[in-house]
Amino acid sequence: MRAWHILRSRLTSIVFRDRRESDLSEELRLHLERETERLQATGLSREEARLQALRLFGGVEQIKEAARDARGTGAWDALVRDTRHGLRRLLRDWRFTTAAVLILGIAIGANTAIFSVVNAVLFRKQTFADANRLVNIYQNDRSGKPMVVISYAAYMEMAEYTDIFSGTMASSIPNPVRYLAEGAVRNAVAEFSSANYLNVLGLQPSLGRWFDATEERRGAPLVAVLGHQAWTRLFHADPSIVGRVIRMEGLPVTIIGVGPANLRGTLDVGLGTDFWLPITAVPELISPMGALRDAPTILAPLFVKARLRDGVTVAQARAAMDVLARRLADEYPDAFRNSGEFALGPGITVIPSTDVRVHPQADVPFMALASIVLFIVGLVLAIACSNLATLLLVRGAARAKEVSVRLAMGATRRQLVRHLLIESLLLSLAGGIVGCVLAWWGMRALQTIDLPFRVDMHVDYRVLAFAIVLSLITGVVFGLAPAIKATRVDLLQTLRDEGLQPIDHRRLTLKNALIVVQVAISVLLLGGTSIFLQATAATRALRVGYAVDGVAMLETDWRFAGYSESAAKTAQDDLLRRIEAIPGVESAALLRGLPMVSTGMSIVVDSATGQPGSEVEFHMLEAGPGFFDTLRIPLLYGRVFDARDRADSPRVAVITETMARKYFGAVDAVGRRFRLKADPNSWTEVIGIVRDTGTGDFEDDVLAPIGPTYYRSYTQSGAQATTVLARTSRDAASLIAAMQRELRAVDITLPAITAKTMAQRLEESQTAPAVVATLFAILAGLGLVLASIGLYAVVAFAVARRSREIGIRMALGARSQQVVSSIARGVAALIAVGTGIGLFFTVLLMLVMRAGGGSADVGIGHMSVYRPSIDPLALLGIAAVTALVGVAAAFVPARRATRLHPLVALRHE
Amino acid sequence: MNDRSDVLQGTLDMLVLRALQLEPMHGWGIAERIEHWSEHVLQLGQGTLYPGLYRLERQNFIRSEWRITDKNRRARYYSLTARGRKYLNESLEQWRRVSRAINLVLDAVN
Repeated sequence: MRAWHILRSRLTSIVFRDRRESDLSEELRLHLERETERLQATGLSREEARLQALRLFGGVEQIKEAARDARGTGAWDALVRDTRHGLRRLLRDWRFTTAAVLILGIAIGANTAIFSVVNAVLFRKQTFADANRLVNIYQNDRSGKPMVVISYAAYMEMAEYTDIFSGTMASSIPNPVRYLAEGAVRNAVAEFSSANYLNVLGLQPSLGRWFDATEERRGAPLVAVLGHQAWTRLFHADPSIVGRVIRMEGLPVTIIGVGPANLRGTLDVGLGTDFWLPITAVPELISPMGALRDAPTILAPLFVKARLRDGVTVAQARAAMDVLARRLADEYPDAFRNSGEFALGPGITVIPSTDVRVHPQADVPFMALASIVLFIVGLVLAIACSNLATLLLVRGAARAKEVSVRLAMGATRRQLVRHLLIESLLLSLAGGIVGCVLAWWGMRALQTIDLPFRVDMHVDYRVLAFAIVLSLITGVVFGLAPAIKATRVDLLQTLRDEGLQPIDHRRLTLKNALIVVQVAISVLLLGGTSIFLQATAATRALRVGYAVDGVAMLETDWRFAGYSESAAKTAQDDLLRRIEAIPGVESAALLRGLPMVSTGMSIVVDSATGQPGSEVEFHMLEAGPGFFDTLRIPLLYGRVFDARDRADSPRVAVITETMARKYFGAVDAVGRRFRLKADPNSWTEVIGIVRDTGTGDFEDDVLAPIGPTYYRSYTQSGAQATTVLARTSRDAASLIAAMQRELRAVDITLPAITAKTMAQRLEESQTAPAVVATLFAILAGLGLVLASIGLYAVVAFAVARRSREIGIRMALGARSQQVVSSIARGVAALIAVGTGIGLFFTVLLMLVMRAGGGSADVGIGHMSVYRPSIDPLALLGIAAVTALVGVAAAFVPARRATRLHPLVALRHE
Repeated sequence: MNDRSDVLQGTLDMLVLRALQLEPMHGWGIAERIEHWSEHVLQLGQGTLYPGLYRLERQNFIRSEWRITDKNRRARYYSLTARGRKYLNESLEQWRRVSRAINLVLDAVN
């Protein structure tokens, strides 16, 4: 009550400051008048009475000040005054202010953007009802560590323990699916879950209902629950969505509800799940997880969570699961004999859900990675701070006189430090605002990229708090030391202008070392840019090995229009015939997926000369009759696919010359055999050998040269063709339009998933290295900007400290060139050392990349790594750019020194 | 040194509150009344009075409002709050006890 009253009184004081001030004046005036009247009554004249009253009264301003202090608003008023003063100063020095705010903005923005990603992935936890009663259950691998996969049968057994768990649910990792909306096929993320999913989590759907046990049976009509975010984002929160049928992977799926608003997905790493479907929908929508309900050997990437019954402890649950683990090991001894990546071991792990973020095995590396990334961007901020501190020191040196005057006039040092700190805080807050805008803008730009998944990174209170706290810390960090230093002046000396002794500028100071590091990092980043530019240019120059001009492709999926398999086949053939009939088309072929996209797999070669029965990693490409002709890939031996190769005829393959030479000992390997490692009955005969081509390793880089490759015909893959590939003697772009017309003529409802020319596809496949090169270039540019600001600050500082010395020198007849060169020598040394170190590491990096060979395992899979050549011209260019920027940064303050009039410099004002 | 000003401050608060016990008054009136009652011994400097008034107001012992005086001028009138009244009674009690004790000591024979 009392506290509230005080707060209110202060608040009204602060808010109604002007009224309060005029009230005070009026009150004091009234008092003065009454006093005067009283004195007049004692017989004094009016004038005498007024003077006496004033004398008695004391200083009006002092009383006002005391009254303000009594109100408790004195500190606030001082703060407002200092802020106004600081703002005026900063606006006057707009050049410095702009530079400082931009630098801070970039550094804080980078930190905020990275933090918001880390926040989305790691910190924003989902909340469930009674979350401390939830446990995660994992099957262990051989070494007893929890695995990311679990057998569905084991999950069913776990769910039987109803005396321990009041409910047990399973949900798959997010899967990419495609669905049809507004005539276009879109990417989405689907999770396959059990019917009691929401019950176990203790949540309620926000609209409609979750699927029930009858819909969780195989063969039941497909139903889906829409994620809340997907509902608002994709369907504009339209409540009539419930009951609507959409086509997913071509199949009709009924939307029966919308998920809880606070549920993003089971895998809580900021990926939003768009659809939840019953686990039993997996075989129909996604084939590889087909045999879910079979023996415990069939492992699926499922997460299992259970809710403990009231009174049951985690230890009891562990004991029960240990019993189950032993029973499973006894019942299915074969299941535990597997080897390889997902070798099932005996044992089950039970962990309280609140102790796990993503997965017990992944949490530590995740956190480590996040910390490293945050540390690196933090380092950028630290460098920006250090440079700004130097700049402020320069300003402080220039303001030494002002500071001394104010100290002499009776300002306390505390007031001055506060004043200077408020200035730096104003700068850092402005920088923080710019940073937030930059971060927001950057994230918007990131989210416009159409990825198959979507990290939900909107700015929440945590990100904002992070940015604000960061700004405040930054302001104090770079402002405090210069402020204290600036106010620690010897009054007499400075006023007489003798305070600034010339310093030994050749000493290796921390600041100089920082500049060297900044220059070196910028050079290294420029080197990285050059490597990626080189890589892009090199892949462009590669012999593609297949026709590009005049080739176009059109991908669709017949299931989206509800075609049965046989109807689709008829329609496909119809479409192919129509496209072949387009004037100018020389050749056309059907294909599954997009051309030159490979899948990695292990095969076993039946070889007389190679290592018999050895396993080798291979890349498989999809093709079909007419494929090699359409892409003009030359056939060396044997034949290519034709109508003889059907689903029921023996499996055949066309292989590349490299594969033939490497594993069959001769280019003419027609008639030799190999099989898939995973399937002992998949012996495949080689029917033809073609020339090597550039091939896509992943979906994207179509050009990267990869190792041995074989082609399989879609007719034998058991799947339907989706794409028509055609080559015209005319313009490929107009061919696309014609192909789309033919598609509409066959069926107007069929969506075109991909319609582009081969040239476009090649161009797109190069976006990844181009993006990396751009990113490096941006980072390098940022590094150079930071480094040049650092250089500027150091030189400006040196000039300010030495202006007396310079003045004396110039008074004694030194010419301006001599002065500049004496300053420039120090700067040149810094730049040279930094550039040298940077170039050294760049060359080292290139050598390591060359030695590392053509590919490297980088955790996400096999990625081809470019072997850069060491280009002296490029290195020279980098050095030249760095030197130029550095010299330009140093030139501005150095020139100022030469402009000093000797007399003025000597007086140093 | 602080102790002395605190005692004085405490006394000032008590005097001001006492002056306001009968009726609301403006600042000048308070000063005049205290001077009058103390037979011109206690003369409140304005530099003490107004900060004191604002502090008391902030502590919620008095409240203020603008009124028109009998001479038709606008003036800020201060009046006691319930809290202030209670505080005054407590202070008076305390003061009487302490001053009696001090007097006893000063007047003591041996």
